[in-house]
Amino acid sequence: MNTDLKIYIPNETTSNSVGANDLYQKISSLKDIDKVKIIRNGSWGAFWLEPFIEVEKDGQRIGASFKGTDISHCITIDDFMIEFENKSPFDIRDIEFIKKQKRIVFSRIGLGDPLDLSLYQENGGYHSLRNALNLDQQSIINKIKESGLTGRGGAAFPTGIKLQTVYDQDSSIKYLACNADEGDGGTFSDRLIMESDPFALIEGMTIAAYAVGASKGFIYLRSEYPLAKDYLTKAISIAKENNLLGNGILSKEFDFDIDLRIGAGSYVCGEETAMMESIEGRRGLVRSKPPLPAINGLFDKPTLINNVVTLATIPPLLNGSLTEFSNIGSGKSIGTMPFQLCGNISQSGLVETEFDISIGEMIETFGKKTKSGRPIHAIQIGGPLGLYLSSNMMSTKLTIESLQSIKGSVGHGGIVIFDDTVDMSEQAKFAMEFCSKESCGKCTPCRIGSIRGIEIIDRLQENKSSTKDIGLLKDLCETMEATSLCAMGGMTPNPIYSIINHFPGELTEE
Amino acid sequence: MKCGLILMSSLKAIIEPFTQLEGGLMPALHAIQEEEGYISNDAISELAIAFNYSKAEVLDVLTYYDDFSQEPLGKNIIRICRAEACQSQKSEELTQELTSHFGLDLHQTSGDSEITIKEVFCLGNCALGPSVMINDSVLGEASKDKVIKFLEKTEK
Repeated sequence: MNTDLKIYIPNETTSNSVGANDLYQKISSLKDIDKVKIIRNGSWGAFWLEPFIEVEKDGQRIGASFKGTDISHCITIDDFMIEFENKSPFDIRDIEFIKKQKRIVFSRIGLGDPLDLSLYQENGGYHSLRNALNLDQQSIINKIKESGLTGRGGAAFPTGIKLQTVYDQDSSIKYLACNADEGDGGTFSDRLIMESDPFALIEGMTIAAYAVGASKGFIYLRSEYPLAKDYLTKAISIAKENNLLGNGILSKEFDFDIDLRIGAGSYVCGEETAMMESIEGRRGLVRSKPPLPAINGLFDKPTLINNVVTLATIPPLLNGSLTEFSNIGSGKSIGTMPFQLCGNISQSGLVETEFDISIGEMIETFGKKTKSGRPIHAIQIGGPLGLYLSSNMMSTKLTIESLQSIKGSVGHGGIVIFDDTVDMSEQAKFAMEFCSKESCGKCTPCRIGSIRGIEIIDRLQENKSSTKDIGLLKDLCETMEATSLCAMGGMTPNPIYSIINHFPGELTEE
Repeated sequence: MKCGLILMSSLKAIIEPFTQLEGGLMPALHAIQEEEGYISNDAISELAIAFNYSKAEVLDVLTYYDDFSQEPLGKNIIRICRAEACQSQKSEELTQELTSHFGLDLHQTSGDSEITIKEVFCLGNCALGPSVMINDSVLGEASKDKVIKFLEKTEK
């Protein structure tokens, strides 16, 4: 028996959802297992292969998909190894799905135990914080401005400008709030960072806090992510034990602490002002802006609000990847974007790549074909407030500019594939239904308009060519767009416009 | 009555660690929901005292959020994802199958208090939908049979 044999079994929500935990239980009860080291690693993000189990021996690491594999006949570790070898294992880093990506932010996921601080540091972790604490705050902000990074949460606001605004405020107390309320259907990139590389977020938050002068940070995590909660709780306490959080971080005169707060099932709390209300212990009602949170935010103090991926992008930018990152793309679409390819697609998972790729290339290179084997009919991009593309729009680029020009957005990078069994009038109705369920209720067009929207679409499903209802729907959408305080009501019409425009005859017939 | 007193003092103990926290009401509500399974009228009174709110103010907050319930929920909570990626993998059909199998509508609890069925919009498991969350575990590529099997295993 080889004593330096390592077995990697992911501990990550999607991997566990298809049996990684069960396999771990079985493998760890095999005979002679004490001669093997089992590591619960993160996922590589090639989700269609999960549960993907890897074996490392003599410096070589190879793995195989154990999807649907029953290993109950295995008694010893040798039995398991026979099963493993029979699957023709390979190095996951050699598959096209991983090789063709540009992983800068997601460079460590899958590598090892997400809570292994030494592993994190051996792979570039905490170099940036160490460097940053020797720089003055303005020069860190300048570097982030220079990088061209924009917010990856959905609004794509330039991150450097946000940092500058908070930094410029004259206040003895400032906060940092990390928005981890990743609520868009079809997205999981924040979750993957938090579960598979949590120190990346903590380091990013610590650098950002230092840059703007915040001494307290919150992570507002959605309650649907219990494993991420577990990982973050542990990672925060490990960071504290190692002088990477708390008072006098890395023996410098800098104090910063992170408090993890859990949401309670409200989509709108992913909107930054509703999130602040929720952290403060109130209903998640949207606030009007101005004042901007950067000037008057949490508990009336200047607050830097960024989402998970944005903050996790900061450490690589300060650790030698800035030029590489800023040389990718142009205009607003600079750097890499973690797209999340999912729904009815055979190779689903996380794809970190440049924005400048067409949806057709994205599918051809990474996703391949539908799971059902049927033709693609619709592609939703950018979540419930994004848009639907039809199958004859495959040349559409995924840049911020290209999607904006057709009344869409990259949003948080979700890409959901539907085959030709989808009923687009149902998808339009769902947009309204979702808005009616998740509206905070503050603005009438969003609260009531969405319900009227469901009713109009119900009638259109009976008679697509009713000019009266088509007119009403367009009117309603315009009103919601023009008079809602936040994106919930203001962008709910986007998927509906896209269905009217790109799927003629499916919702309306004019 | 004695029982009631014990209950009140345990509620106080649950709430206490959060009273000095900035925005402590949400974490306190979470703690009560987790410990007690729901937010009772007694809990609302205790929260109001602890945070110096009126009972109406506490209700105002808790009724906003789907996670807080004023009624006891089932021993097992089944959350069926109905967001877009799961829709593309036939989550609507799965919702039908599950609700009719258990004879419950969405957001209903079974008479024997064993099961509550709820809908949820996105579990972040979009790559392998349709997804169902049972208590804290997510099932990917879920089916009625997988859900039933999982519940049987939980029973053991």
